Amino acid sequence: MDEFEEFLDEGGMVEPNDDIPEAYRSAVFRFIEMHANSEYMGGLTERDWIPKAPGLHRKMTALAKTQDEIGHAHLLYMIAADLGVKTREEMITDLLEGRTHFHNVFHYRVHSWTDQIAVAYLVDAAALASQQAVFKNCSYGPYKRILRRVIAEEGFHMRNGEEMLLLMARGSDVQHQMMQESIDRWWLPSIQLFGPDSRPDDELLRWRIKSERNEDLRDRYIQKFVPQLLGGGFTIPDPGLRQDSDDGKWKISEIDWRPLKEIMRNGGPDSSRRISDARRAWYDAEWVRVALNAAAKADA
Amino acid sequence: MRITDTAIDAVRVAVSSVTDPEYPDLNIQQLGILEDVVADSASIRVDLVPTILGCPALDVIEKDVVAAARALGYDVTVRFCMSPVWTPNRISEDARQILAEEYTVAIRPREGPTKCPLCGCTALQPRSDVGGTACRSVEWCPDCRNPVEIVRSRQMGER
Repeated sequence: MDEFEEFLDEGGMVEPNDDIPEAYRSAVFRFIEMHANSEYMGGLTERDWIPKAPGLHRKMTALAKTQDEIGHAHLLYMIAADLGVKTREEMITDLLEGRTHFHNVFHYRVHSWTDQIAVAYLVDAAALASQQAVFKNCSYGPYKRILRRVIAEEGFHMRNGEEMLLLMARGSDVQHQMMQESIDRWWLPSIQLFGPDSRPDDELLRWRIKSERNEDLRDRYIQKFVPQLLGGGFTIPDPGLRQDSDDGKWKISEIDWRPLKEIMRNGGPDSSRRISDARRAWYDAEWVRVALNAAAKADA
Repeated sequence: MRITDTAIDAVRVAVSSVTDPEYPDLNIQQLGILEDVVADSASIRVDLVPTILGCPALDVIEKDVVAAARALGYDVTVRFCMSPVWTPNRISEDARQILAEEYTVAIRPREGPTKCPLCGCTALQPRSDVGGTACRSVEWCPDCRNPVEIVRSRQMGER
């Protein structure tokens, strides 16, 4: 293990055919499994909005984003399964039975179209920031390569979110008010996506599976999005928000982490509906998998 | 305004550097999306060939093209052409190299098997006809154990 850590400290990249210490294998597997689950659950949320999106153009975007997210999940499940800890079927079953985790933001209900915009703008940006930080210095080769494409595509989603938010910012009073209510609902979940402060001995950081501390990422996000939202004529749902007079940095109130703890037990506000919805989508499509597998066998 | 050849050339240079929203270090010239810049009665028209019909990025590409020309003081219109049809053959050599090295994305050669952009393995295994974007399919490299995405051709009967 010392030798392996030395190799990582010198910037070494780990590839699937290398001798991989079990502790690292299991840590990188859990991290990628969680990412894959989140892309999958995110894709299902996006899918819900294809029929409801206003206009053909927005429907096309929702369709493309759904395909993107499911495509990302597919690639991530491939490299996760290759690590040999669980098969893809086992990962999906664990997800659908509520035994594993996915990002906190997908444990909340998306109530309205402006909620969907808040997700595209605030949540996608938070997810992108944390993926960029992983990509920058990631030690696991196949994951770093997938992240390269995921980041490029998520950047495109964020641009879409920004465009929709600006439209609402310049819209009627009713639209502006609706957008504000959605920001009020999604601000804290977005901040919590980065997680609580990293432990000093976090092995994910030591093994370069992650490359930045949660609190640093969270702070950078706040410094970027507070002025952007205020600039759009919106308020931030935090009575303790203030700008430091010395360094000009935005400071938020102490974060209440109880909602995140509930979510980590799959007990968030919308967790059970989300999971049962995913389960239904999976079993409704069972016949497609059966038919495809039968066709593949017949060809062989 | 009279449209001079100088104006057309200037617009061509400006719009060629517009990057693709999904491959931020490749431009529309390298990907073979930019077909032509022509004088169209009183204005300048930029003809683009979409990689795939219904591509969700067309809107963004159009906006970026218009903005790039406007930065030089020219107003252009954008036309998406149905003909010629885009094929991966339109991707330039340097872009192929960037796609392979930076994005692990391969292009099927006209003859012979497709190679893994990472290790050169020629026994890639199909996994999905369509990937995260409509213009890519997904295969698995059994040698270096990485997923490889392949630029799809929309020619009938081709993968």
